[in-house]
Amino acid sequence: MFLALLLCYTGFTALCMSMDRHHGELLRRKLSTGRRVGLRAAGWALLIVSIWPAVHATGWAQGLVEWCAVLMLSALLLVLLLPYRPRLALTLAGIGLLASPVAAFATL
Amino acid sequence: MKRKTSLPVSYRLAVTSRLLAAVVGGYLLASLASVCMALWLPTSRADAVISGMLSSFVFYLLAVIWCFACRSAWRAWVGVLLPSAVLAAFAGLAYWMART
Amino acid sequence: MKEGFRQAMAWLHTWAGLIFGWLLFAIFLTGTLSYFKDEITHWMQPEVQAHPIDDARSLAVAQAWLQQQAPTAARWFIDLPDHREPSLTVSWQAKVDPGKRGDFTQKVLDPVSGQPVQARESMGGEFFYRFHFQLQMPHPWGRWLSTISAMVMFIALITGIITHKKIFKDFFTFRPRKGQRSWLDGHNAVGVLVLPFHLMITYSSLVIFMSMVMPASIVASYGNDTRAFFNDVFPATDNAPALGQPGQLVPLGPLYDQARAQWAGGHVGRVVVNNPGDVNASVKVMRAGADRVVHDFGSTVSFNGTTGQLLRVSGDQSLPQVIGGSFYGLHMGHFAGPVLRWLYFICGLAGTAMIGTGLVMWLGKRQLKHVKSGVMPFELRLVEVLNIASMSGLMIAIAVFFWANRLLPVGFAGRSDWEVQAFFVAWGLTVLHAIFRRGRQGWVEQLSLGAVLFIGVPLLNALTTSQHLGVSLAKGDWAMAGFDLTCLGSGVFLAWAAWKMQRRNVAQPKAERAQSLVFKGEVN
Repeated sequence: MFLALLLCYTGFTALCMSMDRHHGELLRRKLSTGRRVGLRAAGWALLIVSIWPAVHATGWAQGLVEWCAVLMLSALLLVLLLPYRPRLALTLAGIGLLASPVAAFATL
Repeated sequence: MKRKTSLPVSYRLAVTSRLLAAVVGGYLLASLASVCMALWLPTSRADAVISGMLSSFVFYLLAVIWCFACRSAWRAWVGVLLPSAVLAAFAGLAYWMART
Repeated sequence: MKEGFRQAMAWLHTWAGLIFGWLLFAIFLTGTLSYFKDEITHWMQPEVQAHPIDDARSLAVAQAWLQQQAPTAARWFIDLPDHREPSLTVSWQAKVDPGKRGDFTQKVLDPVSGQPVQARESMGGEFFYRFHFQLQMPHPWGRWLSTISAMVMFIALITGIITHKKIFKDFFTFRPRKGQRSWLDGHNAVGVLVLPFHLMITYSSLVIFMSMVMPASIVASYGNDTRAFFNDVFPATDNAPALGQPGQLVPLGPLYDQARAQWAGGHVGRVVVNNPGDVNASVKVMRAGADRVVHDFGSTVSFNGTTGQLLRVSGDQSLPQVIGGSFYGLHMGHFAGPVLRWLYFICGLAGTAMIGTGLVMWLGKRQLKHVKSGVMPFELRLVEVLNIASMSGLMIAIAVFFWANRLLPVGFAGRSDWEVQAFFVAWGLTVLHAIFRRGRQGWVEQLSLGAVLFIGVPLLNALTTSQHLGVSLAKGDWAMAGFDLTCLGSGVFLAWAAWKMQRRNVAQPKAERAQSLVFKGEVN
């Protein structure tokens, strides 16, 4: 479940950054079209890929339930962090990105 | 200070009418939808009944939304009773066919 | 209604949400607590000892007890202990004239000694579980009301989605410290981000009682013979009638083993024995609900009670049964391990918060119009009282329930009923308090009392039992420690909320004074 959490959280952060308003607030730079498309694609890809570790560990029924739970909770965590600790929110996403391959390696 | 203007009686009647159409009419529509499914679905008897019950609540939801989204209270009632009549006819047909 | 579609849906969302919001808040909060009902029961009956699970011994003990205490019963029920519920529960239904239902008696046995457990009488977490769908009302009115509330919740959710124009644009938006805007952002956040859970829990609660509230299809298809419908869906409930001749029941252990062999390692949840003393006795070994996500009601292996012969293994479920079972299983969450259970709990709290923020906003918006006059019209005052009593009042009642459990003498007969009465008396008093104290003061005082009571729970535990945090953490009794810690956390949260309310209480009069000074200055 932990790997799925990392991937979901990072995916949601990418999707969040692909929006003008949040990108501007957090990175204080204008969002170019190329970057927006890239972040959107990366975000969706991470969310979809996160299904696999959830299902791999406990089968389709339990796995999908766990994935949904992790999906919702990671989004909630991100949205609660953004206004209070935006730097931390982004840092966690960065850590998630780096830690995912390690976690993937550990669980396989 | 402006005096508080009360809502006209006709408005309150219209809302009550829509509410009745939604609650009572909606339940009627949902029940008839479930009966139709129970009598027409080609699966086993129990499975048809279960499918009917499972999906009935969606019909109830649609009926309630219609009753408050349409342009008048009259339309609310028509929009609920007309489909109910059609469903009742279908259910009746299935019943008659099973009899003969 | 002549406005657009969105506005009509917004109107429906607001009114449906208000009228049923107070009840739905209570249902959601007690339902969320129910995910940890076994752990709550464990805290409320600290005398019950958990033993390593030995189903064979439990079954033997249960059979011996029932043979001695209820040899002529119509049915025996044996609920085997599992990781979360360490008690071996036996119950039996008395034999009465055909067509009538006999009384049920239940006993909790110690699976090692075979004797009834000597623990303080308490409903434990079962109280919250039963309340959230029966609402302490006589059967079946509570279930009807809670299912009607579920339908209104469903409508509120869908109309909320329709109304929320910028659902994707505002997906990650939460702007605190901006008054009403923040409340709306919060309501949207806990609503949209946890939407899959809310939709699942709401629709599944409709499905759970669908035979009761939507029986038309059963009647249309089966006529008067509704029994036939239930036999079709749950073939295991079709039992051979008693012949009236005495018979000897075989030991249940080997039957248990055979059933588990059928399920390739699945777990047994319950064993039902029909007509135990009769030659036509039958035994049903039922699979544990926690084995799978899709709840299989019928998963049973049936045996002849006197010969031990395997009669029937229930077959696979059909697609509609799988769908129904999925809704049931997802709602109950029996299959959830500790981590997933906490996630269920958090999602439930999010739903509770969604309803609570909605109620607060409904009043907040309309209160603004009456700030200058200082007098609130009756309807708004009513909403304010109900808001305070149904939210902070309910939380106080829950804390009082736990306090009553520790304060009432252990051997006191009827203490279980008194615990429940304490809950309702406390809740009633919070209504009175909300009536007599003006808005903000009412909130601050009740939230503060709630904070004190919840923070006091672990302290009370330490003073009245030997299972306080120091002991439970050292022993690794996570249920006991988790309960104390969660109460502590809840108390801290309520204290923070009370403090926030108090600050706004102090800040507002200052702002009004500054405003009136400016006016005076302009006039001069």
